[in-house]
Amino acid sequence: MTASLCVVETNRLGYAYRKKDGNLALDGVNLRIASGEYLLVCGASGSGKSTLCRTFNGLIPHFYGGRLHGEVRVAGKPTSEQSVVGLFEEVGMVFQNPETQLFNSSVAREIAFGLESLGLPRAEIQDRISATAQILNISELLPRNPQELSGGEQQLVSIAAVLAIGPKLLVLDEPYANLDPVSVRRVRAALKMIHQKGMGVVISEHRLPYTVPDVQRMVVLHQGRIVLDGPPAQLLALDVERFGLELPLPVRAGRRLGLTPLPLDVETLPSLDLASPPPFDLKTVPPDLPPAAAHIVLEAEHVSFELNGAPILCDISFTLRQGESLAVVGANGAGKTVLLKHLNGLYRPTRGQVRVMGKDTRRVKVSHLARHVGVAFQNPDSQFFKLTVWDEILVGPKALGLYDEAWLRELVKLFRLEPLLQRAPYRLSGGEKKRVAFAAALAHRPAILALDEPTSGQDWHFRSALGNLLAELRMQGQAMLLVTHDLSFAEQHAHRWILMAEGQVVADGSPWHVMADKTAMDRANLEPTDSFRIFSADRSHPTLADCIREK
Amino acid sequence: MLDPRTKLLLAIGYAALTVAATRLTWSLAEGGVLLLFIAVIGKTRSYLRWLRMMLPMSLFFGAVVWWTADVRTAALAALKLLTLTSVFFVFFSTTLPDDLGNSLVKVGMPYVVAFVMSTSLQFVPMIHRKIKNVLDAQRARGIPLEPGWSALRHYPAFLGPILIQAFQMAEELAEAMEARGFGLPGRTFLKDYLMQTRDWLALSGGLLVLIACLLGQHGWG
Repeated sequence: MTASLCVVETNRLGYAYRKKDGNLALDGVNLRIASGEYLLVCGASGSGKSTLCRTFNGLIPHFYGGRLHGEVRVAGKPTSEQSVVGLFEEVGMVFQNPETQLFNSSVAREIAFGLESLGLPRAEIQDRISATAQILNISELLPRNPQELSGGEQQLVSIAAVLAIGPKLLVLDEPYANLDPVSVRRVRAALKMIHQKGMGVVISEHRLPYTVPDVQRMVVLHQGRIVLDGPPAQLLALDVERFGLELPLPVRAGRRLGLTPLPLDVETLPSLDLASPPPFDLKTVPPDLPPAAAHIVLEAEHVSFELNGAPILCDISFTLRQGESLAVVGANGAGKTVLLKHLNGLYRPTRGQVRVMGKDTRRVKVSHLARHVGVAFQNPDSQFFKLTVWDEILVGPKALGLYDEAWLRELVKLFRLEPLLQRAPYRLSGGEKKRVAFAAALAHRPAILALDEPTSGQDWHFRSALGNLLAELRMQGQAMLLVTHDLSFAEQHAHRWILMAEGQVVADGSPWHVMADKTAMDRANLEPTDSFRIFSADRSHPTLADCIREK
Repeated sequence: MLDPRTKLLLAIGYAALTVAATRLTWSLAEGGVLLLFIAVIGKTRSYLRWLRMMLPMSLFFGAVVWWTADVRTAALAALKLLTLTSVFFVFFSTTLPDDLGNSLVKVGMPYVVAFVMSTSLQFVPMIHRKIKNVLDAQRARGIPLEPGWSALRHYPAFLGPILIQAFQMAEELAEAMEARGFGLPGRTFLKDYLMQTRDWLALSGGLLVLIACLLGQHGWG
C-alpha cells in the first residue's frame, strides 16, 4: 500500500495511560488503513480498541497525555507534530456516548459546530447541513433539540456532525453499545451508505453480528496487540473465541456445516437441507420452567400510568413466580424501565395495582418495598458512593437492617468479587461495575431481582459469565425480571417474555411463541433472534424445524 | 422575534423593577402582568411544573423573613423572589442558550466564556435526569432520600454519584469539543445576530415603562 493511499498508518505503536505505568494499553501495533476502507477493530473489553481509535485523531497523546512509543501517521504526517484540532479535517471521531457529545440546542447547530470551527462562510455551512442531513435521512430532525431524540437518532446526529466536516476517515467507538436493534439497523444502513460514497470507516466493536457482514476487513486486538488481520470470512474460520469474541450464529452454523465462504449473517446462510448434518446444538435452549405451583411474588393487574398527563403504560397485567425468569423486551422508549420502577414504588400506577409479596405498592413505602425487590439500574455509576466495593455492597443491608455476613460472603464468591473488594467501585471496568451493582442488589436477599439492561455495552465474556450467574440464582429459586432489548440474551435466560410497544404488552409467552407473532414483533419494531430465524419453521425449513422439535 | 440581547436587557429591567417594589400592590401587579405574559406565550404548563419547585422555596424564604420582621415584609419578600425568578423563567424558556451566547460574542464576549455559559445551560436538563436516576437508584436500595430533613443525613449517597458523573460528563464533552475543532481561530457562526428596528422599539418602550413605574412607585420628588 503506497503512502498516498494510506489514510492512517501506525508503526510499532505502544501506549501507556500513565507515564510511569508499566501496563501498556497498546503494544507494537502496526496497522495501515487505506483510503475508502471499511475496517472493524474488535476485541474483548480492555483489549485496546478505544485506545487505538483515539490515536488516529491525536486525542492520544495530546488530550490524554501518557507515554507513546512508535508513531501514528495521518495522511503521511506524524500526529505527534500536529494538534487534535489540526487533525479533525482528516479523521472524524464519533464517541460511544452520544448524549455528552451533543451540546448544541438544535440538530442543525450540532452539525454546524465543526463547520463553524473551520471558519466556513454561512451559505456553505447551510448547504453542508442540508446535504449531510439528506444523506443520513435526518432532515426532519434539524430543528429539534438533540437531547430530546432517541438513542439511535442521537447517534445519527453525532455521525452527521462529523460527516459534514468531510474527513477522509470516520472513526466510531462502539457506536452500537447502547442502542436497541431498531436503532442499530438504522445506524448500520447509514454507515454502509457513507462507505459506498467513498469515505473510509473504522468501527470499534465487540459485537460481531452487527459488524462482520458490513466490513471489508477486521483486525482483532488482544491485550493491546493485533493478533489477527484479514477479511472477516477468513478470520472467523479461525479460533477467534480465545480472544473473547462471540461468533455470530450463522458463522457457527456455517463452520459446523463446512461451508466456504463462511456465511456472515442469516441472509447469506444457504438453505439447510436434511442431507447436511443439522447443527442442533447451536439452537438456543431456554431454561427449564419452574414448577407451576411456585409461590407468586409479583402481580401486576391492569396497570396504567400517566406522567405529566401523557400515557406511558396502558393496561399491563402479568405475574412472576419464585424461580421464574421473566424478560420484559422491547425497543427503547417502549416503557420497560417505567414498568420496572413500578416494582419498588418509584412509580405508582395511575390505575390498576402492583402487588409485591401480596402488598399493594401504593400503600407501602419505597424503603419497605426495597426489602423485597433488588434493582440494578442500567448505569451503575448512578449508585456508587462508597470508597470500596465491600462497603458499597453493604449499603442496602445496612439501610434495611438485613445484614447477613454468611450470605454476603457467598454473594462475593458467586460474583467473583474477592479481588475487587478493597478497590474503589467507580474505578472498575464497565463489566466489573455491573457485577458489583448486581451483587449490591442481591445483598439483602430480596425475593425479586430486577436487572435493567444488564448486558448493555458488555462483551461476550461478561454476557456468558452473567448467564452462568443467573442460572445459579434460578436454581436457588430466585425470581428474576430482566428488562432488556438484547433478545438473544433474553432468549437464553428467560422462561417467558413480555413484549412491549408504546407502553402496552403486545405479546406474552415463551420466547419463541413471542417471536413467532410477527404482527407483535413488527409493532414492537424488533426482529427475531438469529437462532429463531435459522431454526424456526418461518425460514421455509419446516422439515429441519420439525426434526429439531422431535429431537 | 426579538434578539437575545434585547430579551436579556428587558429581563434585567423587569428584574430591577421587581426588586425596587416597596408596596405589596405593586409587587402583585408586576407578578400579575408576568403571569398574563406567560399565558399569552403558551408556557403555562411548564410554568406550573416549575412553580412546584419554586413556590416552596419562596414560602420558605418568606417564613425566614417573617421570623426576623413582620408579615407584610415577609409576603413582599416571598412575592419578589417568586416574580424575580419567574422573569428569568420566561427569559430562558424563550431564548436558546447558544443564541444567547453567540449574540453576546458579537458584542465582545470571548467565545470560550459564551460557550461555557451556553453549554452549562444546555446540560441542565441532562443533569436533572441524572439527579433523578441517582435518587431512584439509591431509594431502590432502601436509602431514604425522599424530600425532607432526613434526606440531609444521606447526602453523600446523593452527591457522590452526581459529582462523579459530572466529572465524567465534563471529560467526555471536552474530548468531543476538541475532536470538532473547538478553539480554532477564525470561527464563523451559522446565524448572524443583528439588532432590528423592533429590538430598538422594544428597548425604548421597556425603558419608558421602567422609568414610569419607578416614578409611579417612588413619587416625583
